[in-house]
Amino acid sequence: MKSGSNLEKVILSGQPAVTAELGPPMSADPHEVIKKANQLKGFCDAANITDCQTAVVRISSIAAAALALREGLEPVMQMTCRDRNRIAIQADLLGAAALGLKNCLCLAGDHQVFSSAGRLKGHPGAKNVYDVDTCQLVGILKKMRDEGLQEGGDKLEVAPKFFIGASWTPMGDPIDFRPMNLMKKVNAGADFIQTQGIYDIELFRAQMEKIRNMGLHERTAILGGIIVPRSAMMLKYMDSSVAGVTVPKPLIDRLNKAKEAAGDDKKKARELQEAEGLKITIELIHQVLETPGVKGVHIQAIEWESAIEGIVKAAGLYPRPTFTD
Amino acid sequence: MSGASTIEKKGSHRERAAALKETRPYSPCRAACPVNTDVQAYVGFIAQGRYNEAFEVIHSVNPIASVCSMICHHPCERACRRCGVDEPLAVRPLKRFALEQSTEYRRNKRHLIEKTKGKSVAVIGSGPSGLTSANDLADLGYQVTIYERHPVLGGMLAAAIPPYRLPREALKEDIDDVVSKGIEVRTGVEIGKDISLDEITSKHDAVLIAIGLSLSRSLNIPGVEGPGVLLAIPFLEDVAFDRKPDLGKKVLVIGGGNVAMDVARSARRLGVKEVEMVCLEGADEMPAWKWEVEEAVEEGITISHRWGPKAVRREDGRVKGLEVVKVLSVFDAERRFSPTFDNANTKLIEADTIIITIGQMSNISFLKDSKVKVDERGRVQWDPKTQMSSAPGVFVSGEVVTGPGSAIAAAASGHRSAMAIHLYLQGEQIEGSLPTYEKEKIADMPATVAEKIAREPRMKILHLEPEKRCNTFEAFEYGYDEEAALKEAGRCRGCGGGAVVDKNKCMACLTCQRICPYGAPVVTAWSEIRPEYCQACGLCAPECPGGAISMVSYDVREFRETLPAIVGSVDPNRKEPVIVAFLCTHHLGTAGFNLPDHVRKVPVHCTSRIDTNDLLKAFECGADGVAVVRCPGSSCKYKGIENRVAARVGQAKKLIGMLGMEAGRIELLTTDAESGSPYTAVCAGFADRIKQLGLRSK
Amino acid sequence: MIVGSQKSIDELWEMTKDFKKVLVFGCNTCVAICHAGGEKEAETIATLLRMRAAQEGKAMEVDFTSVMRHCEPEYFEPVLEDLKKYDLILSTACGVGVNFLSDRTGNIPVYPGINTSFYGAVEAPGVFVELCAGCGNCILHLTGGICPIARCSKTLMNGPCGGTNKGKCEISKDVDCAWYLIVERMKKLGTLEKLAEVQPPRNWSTSRDGGPRRVSLEHIRAFEEQEAGKSDPAGGKK
Ligand SMILES: Cc1cc2nc3c(=O)[nH]c(=O)nc-3n(C[C@H](O)[C@H](O)[C@H](O)COP(=O)(O)OP(=O)(O)OC[C@H]3O[C@@H](n4cnc5c(N)ncnc54)[C@H](O)[C@@H]3O)c2cc1C
Ligand code: SF4
Ligand code: SF4
Ligand code: SF4
Repeated sequence: MKSGSNLEKVILSGQPAVTAELGPPMSADPHEVIKKANQLKGFCDAANITDCQTAVVRISSIAAAALALREGLEPVMQMTCRDRNRIAIQADLLGAAALGLKNCLCLAGDHQVFSSAGRLKGHPGAKNVYDVDTCQLVGILKKMRDEGLQEGGDKLEVAPKFFIGASWTPMGDPIDFRPMNLMKKVNAGADFIQTQGIYDIELFRAQMEKIRNMGLHERTAILGGIIVPRSAMMLKYMDSSVAGVTVPKPLIDRLNKAKEAAGDDKKKARELQEAEGLKITIELIHQVLETPGVKGVHIQAIEWESAIEGIVKAAGLYPRPTFTD
Repeated sequence: MSGASTIEKKGSHRERAAALKETRPYSPCRAACPVNTDVQAYVGFIAQGRYNEAFEVIHSVNPIASVCSMICHHPCERACRRCGVDEPLAVRPLKRFALEQSTEYRRNKRHLIEKTKGKSVAVIGSGPSGLTSANDLADLGYQVTIYERHPVLGGMLAAAIPPYRLPREALKEDIDDVVSKGIEVRTGVEIGKDISLDEITSKHDAVLIAIGLSLSRSLNIPGVEGPGVLLAIPFLEDVAFDRKPDLGKKVLVIGGGNVAMDVARSARRLGVKEVEMVCLEGADEMPAWKWEVEEAVEEGITISHRWGPKAVRREDGRVKGLEVVKVLSVFDAERRFSPTFDNANTKLIEADTIIITIGQMSNISFLKDSKVKVDERGRVQWDPKTQMSSAPGVFVSGEVVTGPGSAIAAAASGHRSAMAIHLYLQGEQIEGSLPTYEKEKIADMPATVAEKIAREPRMKILHLEPEKRCNTFEAFEYGYDEEAALKEAGRCRGCGGGAVVDKNKCMACLTCQRICPYGAPVVTAWSEIRPEYCQACGLCAPECPGGAISMVSYDVREFRETLPAIVGSVDPNRKEPVIVAFLCTHHLGTAGFNLPDHVRKVPVHCTSRIDTNDLLKAFECGADGVAVVRCPGSSCKYKGIENRVAARVGQAKKLIGMLGMEAGRIELLTTDAESGSPYTAVCAGFADRIKQLGLRSK
Repeated sequence: MIVGSQKSIDELWEMTKDFKKVLVFGCNTCVAICHAGGEKEAETIATLLRMRAAQEGKAMEVDFTSVMRHCEPEYFEPVLEDLKKYDLILSTACGVGVNFLSDRTGNIPVYPGINTSFYGAVEAPGVFVELCAGCGNCILHLTGGICPIARCSKTLMNGPCGGTNKGKCEISKDVDCAWYLIVERMKKLGTLEKLAEVQPPRNWSTSRDGGPRRVSLEHIRAFEEQEAGKSDPAGGKK
């Protein structure tokens, strides 16, 4: 075993893995993390702790991951290339490992312009770093773990042992390059992959076929991304504006119908749409898991962590496997 | 110097550009002019209503400007590049207009010139050539004495060219200019008769013989001697000095040149109903200008072509007519004059008076026994490289040596002789230092450019109706009124007055090459603007980021320099907004500027010449609003300038916005070019809008 | 070339308002080509500052002039004495010019009259695009001639990231995704397989991160020093 993380164990066991997501708060209050950790605990094999997602300042991924771990939830710390150079990154990795963190997902990170979207002022004027990119970061983690060397070549007395993850957008532009893009991450050393949210299952399957032909599904564990839809509006937005996401019209129509069924009642409209959204989620989970080469699902219920329990149960993925060392 | 580039500029733009212009090929009109009058420059001034400046341009090279404005044979027009588009520019009538407009200015300028050189020059003969020399020598500070056998100055201009073509008032303006410089005038003095050449040479430090061709040639045919047969020059002199000769009922003029036309048409004006001309040449071979022939025919003069004079038939001594013989050919294979006749084919043309107009020669009998040598063919020996005769200190100029030509060519010769005399008297070398008028001219207009030029017919020149003009020696041609003159001036393409690049400032950015509507600039290491393409629109100059482009004919920064004076002081308690209006002068010049005082008018050749910085400057000078008023796109003299001008106005709006001023304080407006006062309504409307915005306090 | 862009008049005013005699000093090379700081723009800025001074009721003299380049001494030395007649030189050259001049005007300050934006090309008249970041270690042969350092908003060496959307970068619909362009270009060139290789972390020390950079050419220096009498013609130092 490379890291001995729970996630790694589940994957090695051959059972479909389930990861979820925990967004740390924009505040120094640990309770939010503790609360969410407890909502997720037991319903996933590990939970991603985002690293200042959309470039918004929040409790750092490492700190929040340490809090979650304290609560008994296995975290997948996230590490973007946006905010740290290779010195800070490696220092943080050593610290994270020292704190007992075992999974790390490598990401480019959202550009700082996103931080000022919506109501937030954010820090669009921040300087981004990108000393290294995702592939290179994966390589650094692997080199530290497997060779016991820093990127620069200096020796590590005790190497950080991470189960190394990377993100992948299977349906992003340029779509015919995406398999090669995955290959690079795998070649660099990605043990597992969490994909961008999948709605267009046909297209995803077509991409997966290419991945299988390249044999990549054998060399890494691909967890299909599921973003829980909550409203027709959200799906429409994802379809039009989120990179690498296309939403088939019938799915949007289903949520629209749910909304219309409620008439003018706003509360009811929300409830009906959420109920339909959960249904869609379950369907998608099944379709993704049925896709050959897929080793699990990564379920993102954004700012709706409480929904995970129901979803995992309804999908027949409960209880989660446990291991005794 | 605040507000200016720290690079100092001296003198007016015209003075500075003159040197630059010399380094460039001339416009064809200028190259064709015997004294290289800068046509493009003065026509440009006319178009802007700057008539006095137009006068200065003309007069700086041409002391017989008024004369030329009436009777010049205008080679400039034949060379005009508009010929390749539609019709040539009416250069001569425009010159007339400019001179008529600047008469007062001109008169006020006249003044005595100090005689600083302490040397005196005698000028024999006061035709265009003698007058020009006298003028130049006086300017240089010499004491000049003109000796003229006629009672008045002017040579052929006064004594031969009939007043219906050259009103004597026009001639007088030119002569007064020269004489006012402090020239001694001795009219009624014939050298060789009243005073000897020796006396003259002993009295003066140098002598100029400019006696022209004052004798008419006669024919050696039977019957020519006796009453009823006249020679052209004496006849024209009679006309000029109002000695009405008795001509009988029918006059026959022998000859087909311009002098013959003057003779025939003068005879008509003396009351002779029947005037016939007989000439060797066919209609298309006649040496007379086509327009002269047409005008003569309009006046009822008939022309018998291809007949040669054989004998004057007389009855009782009185002329009965002329026996003529049919011409077979006029020129030989080498196009030399060598007529052949069909002796079997003759006829008699009846006439009471016959006037022989077959050419002139000079009367140089007074040179006999002098140091001035005469060649075997009876012509004064001279050296064209020094303008000197065989006698040191005795110079020649004009037709006496060049043979027949035009008044302006005689003037050119006069310039050369004056310079030669000056160099001689200063002990300097003459050869190689005299002005030459042979200049490189810009190439023909490329077809790609000609295609882009709007067809605009030449403004018509009106004449007194033939019936009326036959009864009078009054001028028969009307001058342009202001509207016509401005319209005509607007037709000039400004050849050779266009864009030039200062290589020290050009960074080869390609801007000019990209924006020129005519493809004139070619940028390699720096921009080379090809003059044969350039239409002098000026679109490129304000756009050049390095300030590398100037226009030969106007200063790119001229507006900025003159705006403070144009805007003047701004009354803080004013009721009306101060509007600076940049007004396109293309159609009406400044004639349509009937605008109230609070609208400060800036005439522009084309709005394409306005720089964003000009618009800012107007505000800096205190304008409440700035209007750029252009002519409608359809009638614009240039192609494809609208968007550029609009973009500059847009940029200026943005820039004043940075100072907290409303964008509405600048507008790009279009005028109604056809209306008589096209700017009144647009400017009034704009002023109203500015009033709404309020007057600026700072 | 170096592309610059104009500063707001407010900013320029804040910089200049305490000076009595200001020279707006244009630079007629790169920044002129991009219509930011050539003689024409220097005149514009001078006019705007005078107008602003009038609005503020301050007496300020503002002139303008220009030379071909501020980054080579031979160009501005002839006017150096004239420059020193001013209290402030507002240079509309790029930052290079401002720096360079600053060292050479004695006690007269040189302030920046424009913003120095990037190294760019003229995509169309009036449109300038950044295409190079001057990183000091060119890898364009690996990326189909399209620079991921300058043109990818994350300077990714193994792109694209997941943000590519319809060929555009996640930061804006108006910005091309450099990696999208790279992939498409390399497809066309038939060299896509080159991208399969993972590019290792870069050595940024050739870039700004290595401190101010300097290129000194032996062969040119040898000649110059020889001319100045500092070394003998054989090349050995005296
Ligand atoms: C009828 C006619 C029409 C013309 N029309 C035109 C026209 O339309 N346009 C045009 O450009 N040109 C025209 N010309 C030509 C023009 O007039 C001559 O080119 C010009 O006048 C020549 O100038 P000049 O100075 O050489 O001589 P002139 O003008 O001939 O002047 C010579 C002067 O010397 C005087 N003189 C001669 N001998 C003596 C002496 N011994 N002592 C004192 N004085 C003497 C003469 O009286 C005369 O005044 C015309 C010429 C004629 C005859
Ligand atoms: S268009 Fe004007 S400048 Fe050109 S040849 Fe004719 S008169 Fe001369
Ligand atoms: S616009 Fe000016 S700087 Fe640019 S190429 Fe033309 S002349 Fe040269
Ligand atoms: S833009 Fe106008 S002035 Fe400039 S080169 Fe072209 S034709 Fe000449």
